[in-house]
Amino acid sequence: MAANKFRLKRWLPMGISNLLASLALITFLFPYLFMVASAFKERLDVLAYPPVFFFKPTLENFSQVFGDINILFYMKNSTIVATFSTLLTMVIAVPATYALARYRFPFKESIAYGFLLLQMVPGISIVFALFHIARMVNLYDTYLFLILVYLLWNVPYAVWMLRGFVESIPVDLEEAAMVDGASRFGAFFRVTLPLMAGGLSASAILIFIGAWNEFALAFFLTSTGARTMPTTIAFFMTHAGIKWGPMFATATIGTLPVVIFALLVRKYFVSALTLGAVKG
Amino acid sequence: MTRFWRRHRSLIVPYSLLLPAFLVVFLLAFYTCLWLVRMSLVNWSFGAAWSKAQPAGLSNYVWLLTDQATPLWKSLQLTGFFVLGTVAAELVLGFGLALLLNGRVMGRSIHTALLVIPIVVMPSMVGMIWRLYFSYDGLINYLIETLTHLKLNWYGAGLALPAVMIVDVWEWTPFFILILLAGLQSLPHDPFEAAIVDGANGWQLFRFVTLPLMAPLLVTAILLRLMDSLRIFDVIFVMFGGGPGSATTTLPVLVYRITMVARNVGRGSAVSVMLIILIVSLTILLIRLFQKARIEV
Repeated sequence: MAANKFRLKRWLPMGISNLLASLALITFLFPYLFMVASAFKERLDVLAYPPVFFFKPTLENFSQVFGDINILFYMKNSTIVATFSTLLTMVIAVPATYALARYRFPFKESIAYGFLLLQMVPGISIVFALFHIARMVNLYDTYLFLILVYLLWNVPYAVWMLRGFVESIPVDLEEAAMVDGASRFGAFFRVTLPLMAGGLSASAILIFIGAWNEFALAFFLTSTGARTMPTTIAFFMTHAGIKWGPMFATATIGTLPVVIFALLVRKYFVSALTLGAVKG
Repeated sequence: MTRFWRRHRSLIVPYSLLLPAFLVVFLLAFYTCLWLVRMSLVNWSFGAAWSKAQPAGLSNYVWLLTDQATPLWKSLQLTGFFVLGTVAAELVLGFGLALLLNGRVMGRSIHTALLVIPIVVMPSMVGMIWRLYFSYDGLINYLIETLTHLKLNWYGAGLALPAVMIVDVWEWTPFFILILLAGLQSLPHDPFEAAIVDGANGWQLFRFVTLPLMAPLLVTAILLRLMDSLRIFDVIFVMFGGGPGSATTTLPVLVYRITMVARNVGRGSAVSVMLIILIVSLTILLIRLFQKARIEV
């Protein structure tokens, strides 16, 4: 009897906490899973009340999305913009990060905080000025302009994230390479850069995700030529109401790569969320 | 001149490494801000040529700050409610769940992996799907009706803002869970053992050991989230576009509504300038606290 009680006392809280944790996980996942499920529903089932949880899946929505809306075109645009802005960000941010992490010079911290302040500026607050500039220089609705504009946020983000990674690599390693006859840059490329690879690819993936998901800037700075995935939502709002089925199909297609990427870099995800303030 | 270079040679390398970033980022940002300020000092209708813009001095700012019909103060109030309400809810829920997951829970790594999903899903799509979930015959009302036999009008002026806030809590509570769980797992064991030896109970352990040790991280997470929440545009824009009426017009949405809906670029830019000033000064405050927190971490 006593043994039973003891066991209950030990197992009950554990059972409850497992139950609560699973309940929380379901709450956070369900809206996403329901979205994916709805992408495979027929038109009537999407809007049915009470909601339909079991149904015969159809690919009707996907064929509409690939056919009428030509979603591949917008995926191509998103891929081009996100890829090139990520690459350019890295090319610009890595030397800057290296300078901030390894050298001592006047205004170092002011420059670092300048980057941080820039990163905090909301896109929507400068998007109409950017819109005006884009029209002036004839770059409205081009990949180039969107890529450049994304650098405004991506470079500061990358600098803040990577600085911690560089600082955590001992200078001794570079100095040892230099004693062996390597130049400062040779030492960087042969010693530090390979050691940064993990952090570098993690921040690249996160920057890619950010660019892939970005809405406000892409929405107001493109029209038909360079329009990206997140802004395609406008196409589903018709006079006859919102086309929910194709909308869900697009959301499913658009979020799939990002979810896969995020799961790949989840080791670094926590430190990325806090700009490197917390090592995950 | 040669003496100058000899003295400052060591500076050439770091500054030239920073040069590309400086050129691209700061120049573009500076030029854009210059235009933004210029645009805030004119009367200019959206879509008209720049030559049609009429110099207006500070009248846009004066109107926004003092006119009886100004939407600024109500928007500021809404923004404050939105930001503080969501961050508070996310903090409490997130910290609670992080503590829960830090205990004896099976499959912790599966939890942390899957909790990433709400954070990384496209915000515009998040807005769209929740717009349907919050409709009268949607998922949320189905849940509420099953529990209480009531159906709520989430599209109405009273519940639109709470609806948007619920979406934000769904999206960003995992942020707190992941960060705080990582923090909890890296806490040292000794203080806990010492406290247990001294006979501390569960609550005292939390109050006098866990909480002080976690304080710097909590501050960091709260401040990062506050700043981010202040900038949210996409989800609100997609769900309700600031409406019904002005029920969900937070400051970022106000910029859009004045510029694109009322087509008044001057006033819209003035709101933008004030929003940037607000965020930058709050960030400087954040940096101070951030540094304090960092030293303690």
